Amino acid sequence: MKNPVFDIDNWREITATLSRNKTRTFLTAFGIFWGTAMLAMLIGGAQGVRGLMMRNFAGFATNSAFVFSNNTTRAYKGYQKGRGWNLTQGDVDAIRKAVPEIESISGVTQNAGAVSYGAKSYANGRVQGFTPDYYGIMSPLLLEGRLLNESDEQMKRKNCLIGSRVASELFGTESPVGKFVQVNNIYYRVVGMVKQRNDNINIGGSMEEAVIIPLAVMRHNYNLGDRVYFIAFNVKPGHTPAELRDRIRRVIRTRHSISPYDDDAVPFWDISEEFEQVDGLFKGMDLLALFVGFGSLLAGIIGVGNIMWIIVKERTQEIGIRRAIGARPRDIITQILSEAVVLTTVAGIGGICFAVLVLTVAGKLTAGADGTDVGFQLAFSSAVAILVVFLVLGTAAGIIPALKAMRIKPIEALNDN
Amino acid sequence: MIHLKDVHKTYPGAVPLHVLKGINLDIDRGELVSIMGASGSGKSTLLNILGILDNYDSGEYILDGRLIRDLGENAAADLRNHLIGFVFQSFNLISYKDAVENVALPLFYQGVSRRKRNAMALEQLDRMGLREWAHHLPGELSGGQKQRVAIARALITNPAIILADEPTGALDSKTSVEVMKIFRQLNDEGMTTVIVTHDPGVGAQTNRIIRISDGLILPDNPR
Repeated sequence: MKNPVFDIDNWREITATLSRNKTRTFLTAFGIFWGTAMLAMLIGGAQGVRGLMMRNFAGFATNSAFVFSNNTTRAYKGYQKGRGWNLTQGDVDAIRKAVPEIESISGVTQNAGAVSYGAKSYANGRVQGFTPDYYGIMSPLLLEGRLLNESDEQMKRKNCLIGSRVASELFGTESPVGKFVQVNNIYYRVVGMVKQRNDNINIGGSMEEAVIIPLAVMRHNYNLGDRVYFIAFNVKPGHTPAELRDRIRRVIRTRHSISPYDDDAVPFWDISEEFEQVDGLFKGMDLLALFVGFGSLLAGIIGVGNIMWIIVKERTQEIGIRRAIGARPRDIITQILSEAVVLTTVAGIGGICFAVLVLTVAGKLTAGADGTDVGFQLAFSSAVAILVVFLVLGTAAGIIPALKAMRIKPIEALNDN
Repeated sequence: MIHLKDVHKTYPGAVPLHVLKGINLDIDRGELVSIMGASGSGKSTLLNILGILDNYDSGEYILDGRLIRDLGENAAADLRNHLIGFVFQSFNLISYKDAVENVALPLFYQGVSRRKRNAMALEQLDRMGLREWAHHLPGELSGGQKQRVAIARALITNPAIILADEPTGALDSKTSVEVMKIFRQLNDEGMTTVIVTHDPGVGAQTNRIIRISDGLILPDNPR
């Protein structure tokens, strides 16, 4: 017998069988449709929610950490406890040298500063200084112009970046780039306008309210000497800040004569650990999504199995007629399985399409100000995998009724009423 | 064409039912015979065994030179498809297939292309005077038309034998006559036909009546 897939009668038969009891077919198909849609929406939705949360980390290296200075809590080498000390650019250089696993590292300084342009002023401003390495840790969104570079740092140019809110107050809709602003009585030329990629993480205040100048210029203009307020760094792939913590503290303690047991004097904020917690939460969500999704899918598949069972019961006599006129058992199995597979495939594809539509709408509703989607999407490979799983399970669900149909004796079937 | 020797059949159960108790029967090629008997005499069981729809327990059954014994499901299906044409009392047409599709169905299981099998089915329907009803569903046909469609389906594979189980049982007398006329025509063309009936009028139109009683064939009664 030739392959029934290529025989139009076979397809007409499948359509005819499925359309004979439209309500039942619809309800069964809806079970599969909903199972597929749920699974696809949960997978895509979990990814979208993860994207939404990750947007809170946007522009921020999730493998970064910060080192601060605090009064000592232990006496050491003749120094009393409670001694104040400051981080320095020398610490930054020493850490960079001693810990090659670090990708980028920068000292950061900041001060309050009234910013003015002509007659306009912005009283709540801050002036912040860091080296271009800091962009590897906290990447600002450049709205206009350029970022400060290594040359600005080396040449101690009085160039600055201006935060978008400060720029808006001082320049309105006018471009600030190329203009000179005055910060604490010193003029700086604006080379770029920036804003933070997200408002949820502020290290030393929002970048939007700051004027950023080269670190070397800041230390010089504000008589900070070698001092930095804190040190920010991120690590190379394959490493974590936590594994470098003790070595970094050791470098700093040695340089500042701090007790090797005085952790409180060198506070260490590992943002990657917080990110790991969020990531763990989402892995749990992914598992839950899969569990719930597969539950819906299973319910749909059991529906298919049930309906195929009823169809076989209803068509016992027809199966008998077919067997009497020459249908072999495998012809009957093929026929029953074809119906299960067609029902599963059509409803499954419908469910995937519906899920993609819902995810697209969710993506539009949660898109960022710049139009970026947070990831309410279903990967093509996931869609194909869901369909394949559904197809395999749908076929499996049809196998038991098909085997029952195959075992029907023609004579018993013909006598069936 | 058909040779049965000491064929026995018992249906198992709490009280086993010995239905056929040693059937010996020979039907030659081109014969038109009827099998008659009272209810429960074993005539339908005999027809089912002749049609390879049911197995027998002991004895020997040879159909068109082939020993029919311990066949697998596939082999039995192939023999039914190629050697036997069935006509049933209740027509047994598939309700959602039109006449031409019903007639063509046995060829579907032979792997004949759709175009060819539909052409052959139309030919058979034409032979039965039903060409204009080719694309009607069984529900739109009269009893006589349905039985003619069933006969066309039985003939489409050019079988060695036609087995008919009470072919006029569901028809009025006028239509019964028409159907029997078709069987006689087929017989005139050389088709071997076995009809199970309880209707003496139908039996009277066959060449030979085989009477069966209590699982045994009574002495032959050639006409």
